[in-house]
Amino acid sequence: MRRGAIAVAAFSGLLALGPLVLDGYLLSLLALAFAFAFFGAAWNLMMGFAGMLSIGHGLYIGIGGYTVAVLLVTFGVSPWAGLPLAGLLCAGLGAAIAWTGFRFAVRGVYFALLTLAAAELARILFEHWPFVGGTGGFFLPALPPGNVPLLTLRGGPEFFYFAFLLLLTAALVLTLAIRHSRMGYRLMAIREDEDAARASGVPVLRMRIAAAALSGGMTGIGGGLFALMNGSLFPNTMMGVAISIEIMIAPIVGGLGTVFGPAIGALFVMPVHELSEHLAQEAGVFGLNTLIYGLLVLLVVLFLPAGIGPSVARLLRGRR
Amino acid sequence: MIRITRRAALAGAAAALAAPATIRAQSAPVKVGVILPTSGVLAVPGQASRRGIDLGARMIAEAGGPRMEVIHADTASRPENGRVAAERLIREGCTVLVGAWDSGTTISAAQAAEPARIPLVVNIASAPQITEQGFSMVFRNFTPANVLIRNAVERIREFGQITGELPRTAVLLHVNDTFGTSIAQAVSALWTQLGIPIQIVETLSYAVTARDLSAEVARAKAANPELLMPVTRVNDAILIVREMVRQDFVPKAIIGPGSPGPYEKAFTDAVGRFGDEYMVCVPWHNPRNPRTAEVLQRFAREYPNERFELNVGFSFEAMEIVADAIRRAGSGDPAALHAALRTTDIQDHIMYGGPIRFDEKGQNNNIGGVMLQNQNQEPKVVGPAEVAEARAIYPLTPFRNRR
Repeated sequence: MRRGAIAVAAFSGLLALGPLVLDGYLLSLLALAFAFAFFGAAWNLMMGFAGMLSIGHGLYIGIGGYTVAVLLVTFGVSPWAGLPLAGLLCAGLGAAIAWTGFRFAVRGVYFALLTLAAAELARILFEHWPFVGGTGGFFLPALPPGNVPLLTLRGGPEFFYFAFLLLLTAALVLTLAIRHSRMGYRLMAIREDEDAARASGVPVLRMRIAAAALSGGMTGIGGGLFALMNGSLFPNTMMGVAISIEIMIAPIVGGLGTVFGPAIGALFVMPVHELSEHLAQEAGVFGLNTLIYGLLVLLVVLFLPAGIGPSVARLLRGRR
Repeated sequence: MIRITRRAALAGAAAALAAPATIRAQSAPVKVGVILPTSGVLAVPGQASRRGIDLGARMIAEAGGPRMEVIHADTASRPENGRVAAERLIREGCTVLVGAWDSGTTISAAQAAEPARIPLVVNIASAPQITEQGFSMVFRNFTPANVLIRNAVERIREFGQITGELPRTAVLLHVNDTFGTSIAQAVSALWTQLGIPIQIVETLSYAVTARDLSAEVARAKAANPELLMPVTRVNDAILIVREMVRQDFVPKAIIGPGSPGPYEKAFTDAVGRFGDEYMVCVPWHNPRNPRTAEVLQRFAREYPNERFELNVGFSFEAMEIVADAIRRAGSGDPAALHAALRTTDIQDHIMYGGPIRFDEKGQNNNIGGVMLQNQNQEPKVVGPAEVAEARAIYPLTPFRNRR
C-alpha cells in the first residue's frame, strides 16, 4: 500500500512537470493518453476487480459527455456543476445495470451483452432525439478570446493535460485504496468465485452495484471532460461500440486488475499509435499504422497475457 | 510524414525563377498541414481526398504557384485525433491547415487552430454547425448538409424541364445511420416547403449493417412508385441495384438526393451496366470548364485506377484556395494568410458553383449541386442545363434489356 502510494505520487508528480518541457502537440497527445488511462482505470474497477466484463462503457462516456454539453450549451450551466451531475447520473445508470444483471442472474458473458445492449440502446435513442441534435451531432461554441480555463473547464492542451492527469491521479489513488480495502478483497473474491464469495458472507449485490456505480460515475465525469476537449458529440463516436472497445485496450495491454495497468497500457498504446502513424506517412502506405498497432497489441496479449505492468514487475523482482 | 519534397522543391525552384518578385522574395516554402482520415473506417474517402491534395500541390507547383510543403497527418478516423494532428502540424511549422473530411474531426482540429491563430481550410465536412460556432479561423469550401439537400431537391424539381415530365409518385429508401436519417428528414421537410409535385408514397429505412435488402426492395416495388429515391452509401447502393435487377423492379427513374455511392468507382465496377441511368444529386466538378478537363486528364494519367469524384475535387480546390491566399498574402505568415483567405474571390475554379468567397462566418455560399447520371459506367452531369455534359436518359431502361 505504501509502495503503491509512493509510486502514484512519483508518477503524477513527474508528469505534472510535463508542461515545462513538452509542447502543445505532446501535451495534447498525453492528455488523450491520460483520458484513455482514466477510462481504462474506471473500466478496470469493474472488470479487473469485480470480474464484471463491460463492453458498453461508451454508454457512460456518451451520457456523461451529453449531460455536460447540453447543460452548458442549452441551459448555460457551468461544467463545474455539469461534471458532478454527469458523474451522479452515470453512477445511477451503472448501479441500475448492475442491479438488473444481478436481479435476473445475468452473469459472465451475458452480463457483457447486457452492457453492450444498454450502450447501443442509448446510442440509438440519442440518434433519434432532436433535442441533442440526433445523428447530426451536438456542438460546443468556440472559446472566446480571453477564456479562463479554470472557469469554463475548456482550454488548450495544457489545461486538458492537467485536467486528465488530475482525474487519472484521483483514479489511481482510489483504485489503490480499494485494492487494499475490505471492499477490494470482497470484489476480488466475487471475481474469483461468486458463489463461494456469497457463501462466505460477501454481500455480492451491494459490492457489484458499488463497483458498477463507481466505474460508471468515473467514466461519466471523464466523458464530460472528453466532450469539452473534442468540442462536438455524435452518438456513434461518443457511445458506439468502437469507443467501448477502445477503452478496454489500455487496461488489457497494461495489466488487468492491477492499479497501474490502465495507465501503463495507455502510455504504451498512445505513443505506439502515434509512432506507427509517423512510420506509415514516412512509408507512404495507408493503414500501415493500424496494422502495426494491431500487431503490437496482439503480440502483447499473446506473449504477455498478464499485461505489460505485471510482466515488468516480475522481471524487476527476478533481477533482484 | 510525407512531404512532397524533392519534386515539389525542384518544381518550386524552377517556378520561383520565372515567377514575379513577390513570390521569389519568399525564402522558404509555406508549410501546409493536411489532416485526413487515411486509415480506419473513413479510409476510402480519406484517401480519395488525399489524391486531390497531392495532385493539387503538384499542379500548383508546376504552374509556378507559390512554394508549398505539404505535411500530412492521419487521424485514423478518430475525431479526438483531429486536435492532436493539428497541434503536431502547427508544431512542425504549418501556418495553414487543410482538413478534415469529417465534421467531428474538423471541430476537434479547429479547437487547436483557433487559439494558435492558424487558418483551417475545410475541404469537406457537412455539419451546418461548423461555421456557426464562432470559430474565426475556419474557412469551409463545402456545402453544409442543409444546402446540399436543398440543391439536390431543386435538381429533382427541375428534372421535369429536362425530360418533359416529372414522375408522379416516389419512395424514399434510406440507410438509417447518422447521415442517411438526417438526409431523409431534410428531404421530407424540403419536399413540402418547396412544394415538389411528386407524392412520396412511402419512406423505408434499413440498418447500415444490412447484408440483404430483398425485403426493402420488395416493399418499395409493392408501392409501385415512378421514382425511387435511395439515400445510400456505396455497398447498400450495390445491394439495392442487384435486388432491383433480381426482382425486375423498374421505376421510371432512380435519383439519390445528396447520396454518395453510385458515382463511386466501387459501385460502377460492381454493378456495371445495371448501375447505368442511376442518378444522384451532389456537389460536383464543372465539366464545361476547360480547366476541369485538364485536371481530369492529369488525374487519369496519374491515378489510372481511380475516379475523380467530389472528395478528390474539393480537396484539390482546397489546395487552390490555399495557394491563392499565399500568393496574395505574399508570405506564409498566418495572420496575412487569414486576411487573404477572408478576401478570397476565385472566379475560375473546377467545382460547379459561383466564385469562391467566404462570408463572415467562413462559409462559401456559392457552391452548386448537379444531377449526375451514370452512363456507360461513368457519372455524367445531366443537370442543370448550364453545365450538363450529357442528356438524361428517361425513363429507365428495363434491366432485362441491358445484357
